Amino acid sequence: MKKTAFMAVLLGVLALAAPAQAARVEVQWWHAMSGVLGDRLNELVEKFNASQDKYTVVAVAKGNYDEVTNGVIAAYRAKRPPEMVQIAERGYLTMLLSGAIVPVQDLLDQKGYKIDWPDFIKPVASFWSYKGRMSAMPFNSSTPIFWYNKEHFRKAGFDKPADTWQELEAQLYAIKAKGVSECGTVLPGDFYWSLLENYSAINNQPYGTLANGFGGLGTEFVYNKTKVVSQVARLKKWLDDGVLQIAGQGLSPEQLFTSGRCSTFVNSTASHGNIERNAKIEWSATFLPHENDINPPLNSTIGGGAIWVMKGHTPERYDAVAAFLDFVAQPETQVWWHGVTGYVPATSKAYALARERGYYKEHPTREIAVLQLSRGTPNDNSRGFRFGNFVQTMLAQRSEVEAVFTGQKQPQQAMDDAVKRGNEILRQFEKLNAGKDAEAGREPK
Amino acid sequence: MNASSPIASSPIWPESPAVQVAQPSGLVRSQHPSPGATVAEHSPVTPRPIRARTPKRGQPDREPGLKRANFGREAGLPTLLLLPQLLILVCFFFIPSLRALMQSVLLSDPFGSNVQFVWFDNFKALFASGEYRQSIVTTIWFTVTQNVITLAVAVVLAFASDRVVRGRSVYRTLILLPYAIAPAIAGILWAFLFNPVVGPLAHMLHALGISWDPNRNPNDALWLVIMAASWKHICYDYIFLAVGLLAVPASLMEAAAVDGAGPIRRFFLIALPMLGPTVFFLAVMNFIYGFFETFAIIDAVTHGGPAGATNILVYKVYVDGFINLDLGSSAAQSVLLMTFALICTLLQFRYFDHKVNYGV
Repeated sequence: MKKTAFMAVLLGVLALAAPAQAARVEVQWWHAMSGVLGDRLNELVEKFNASQDKYTVVAVAKGNYDEVTNGVIAAYRAKRPPEMVQIAERGYLTMLLSGAIVPVQDLLDQKGYKIDWPDFIKPVASFWSYKGRMSAMPFNSSTPIFWYNKEHFRKAGFDKPADTWQELEAQLYAIKAKGVSECGTVLPGDFYWSLLENYSAINNQPYGTLANGFGGLGTEFVYNKTKVVSQVARLKKWLDDGVLQIAGQGLSPEQLFTSGRCSTFVNSTASHGNIERNAKIEWSATFLPHENDINPPLNSTIGGGAIWVMKGHTPERYDAVAAFLDFVAQPETQVWWHGVTGYVPATSKAYALARERGYYKEHPTREIAVLQLSRGTPNDNSRGFRFGNFVQTMLAQRSEVEAVFTGQKQPQQAMDDAVKRGNEILRQFEKLNAGKDAEAGREPK
Repeated sequence: MNASSPIASSPIWPESPAVQVAQPSGLVRSQHPSPGATVAEHSPVTPRPIRARTPKRGQPDREPGLKRANFGREAGLPTLLLLPQLLILVCFFFIPSLRALMQSVLLSDPFGSNVQFVWFDNFKALFASGEYRQSIVTTIWFTVTQNVITLAVAVVLAFASDRVVRGRSVYRTLILLPYAIAPAIAGILWAFLFNPVVGPLAHMLHALGISWDPNRNPNDALWLVIMAASWKHICYDYIFLAVGLLAVPASLMEAAAVDGAGPIRRFFLIALPMLGPTVFFLAVMNFIYGFFETFAIIDAVTHGGPAGATNILVYKVYVDGFINLDLGSSAAQSVLLMTFALICTLLQFRYFDHKVNYGV
């Protein structure tokens, strides 16, 4: 009776395995990190899993941010969402008003975790919270900084890049004229984020009405009436003069910088890991430039992602989720994550801890993001950007800026059109979410 | 691809209309000459099936023979055999199409918690939008150019590799290789080769005095994706044409050669007309390819830019649906795209089908 024997063995194994299995509650976390960042994220999850014996977090890489968003939408509609998901900052309003999430602060309060919420650094906390309550757990927050090739600047006779766009322009033209490099700077793939949105914040320019969308869904874009227009014109001029290059497809702007072809580039502080690994040049970084008539420059704003908790799971699973989020919020975890990736530490405690340990003496460029984010007093222009369908409005804007680069439109015309297209998209979002604003995302489990 | 590849078609090419009608060939529905068939047995007495100009469309016996499905009384087995295919069609075509139709009159948030019925607002918004009209023009230009280039190059390659004697199979394998490359990879390859900053081929163009820059010149970008898409599809056309050429009777070619016709004349006067059905089939397939299957290439090469210059309809459907999460508009676009494709295919059959001689 081979079969019965086999079944007996199988049952025995199951009986032995079952208690061990039942003891650990498993939850899924879908994320968008790949390469070095993905490896680090897996290490983080392993650390958590090893730190206790009740819960197991399973990290699942689902492609880029867009693919993760699509994956979670499909899963939610099929009523099988993961417990946690990492969503980019542009998806904030979509997630908040979706009715598919549990605000993290409500969850953690309910589960009895004492998180020092006021300790989260200002731009991070204000971006991810709604009416003073955190909706998602800040996880990978970044901000753009200005990277440069030290050797190129030395050869051209400069110590470092200038603080203002005007002086920087002179430097880049000099670098080109002296033949130090054929490319002063390279257009970032996400130039709308660093060179238009953050540019507006730093230079105290309004981007939209109602405090850039923080004041409600009735917001409208206004960047066609601000210095953004002259910024686009500046980029076009640099492009025509060969000071600015577009990397194009098949090649990343970062490659042009790390290979020593381009002297400077604007990119997220989160590229520290990659640049340290790949750069064959002597590099450094500094603050983003500002206009010469703006004094003092304001703070930059954050990008990156946060961890959202999805609705529709059992209390035991939410226990696991809460335990993990608490782990993520710990200063020790934040300092480690900040160190290995270059993302901003989310809390003041974590920042103080990193300072105390002398981390920034060894890695001065890692402090730039924190300093730049906490510079000055944030106002309505620099608190961040909260627009509905933000990805769609951004793509419309990108297309219009490209029309300037191709010479089809003048900067003013292009920005007028971008604002017009963007406002139509905002109105559609407003129509869809009419009356939802007040109670958005406030349904604690 | 369905059962209508030349390989799958009936090994016996019918010689007269009478034979064709009698043949229960509903499953075959081939429009191409069979590779194994020879016309040599054509008796001079049998009149060629002259294609009568039929007065009305939609008449069931407009096309005699292979184009007609006739199960007769024994419909059981064929239906049974068709069932799996029908099930697949229902699950993966009809149900999604219905869902798209429904979605196209709704305004909904991506998670589906707010759904509003908006009648035809999504369609109205599309026709009012300059980007959408630009996208239609780009698509037509892209598809037609891609179609012409792909067919022309494939015909030349097929004829050339048919004439070459030594190493013919090596050439064939080499020409077929690109088909094995995933579209996204092919796209990256082309984008890199023609990258204005580092691409070797772009440098060659610059050396020739051409200021090539697909990042800043919409025409360059469009040509780049047309070339990449054609390159990827040439091998598909090539294999059909290479097989089609095998069916051209050697005796006819020899006779023409004896009469003093050179290779080019032989090609245009004998080979090409006999390839008519294949070329027609390929034109339809290329058209569908250009319409629906090129978005991976566009995504890898240009992202639809610069300034929407390569934003063809199918790519716009993808971006609006999957990146912008504007499901209503994306669904409306896919309904329109399906309608356009249907109209164009019908027009092709209506106007070009008559010019194709199936009787060889």
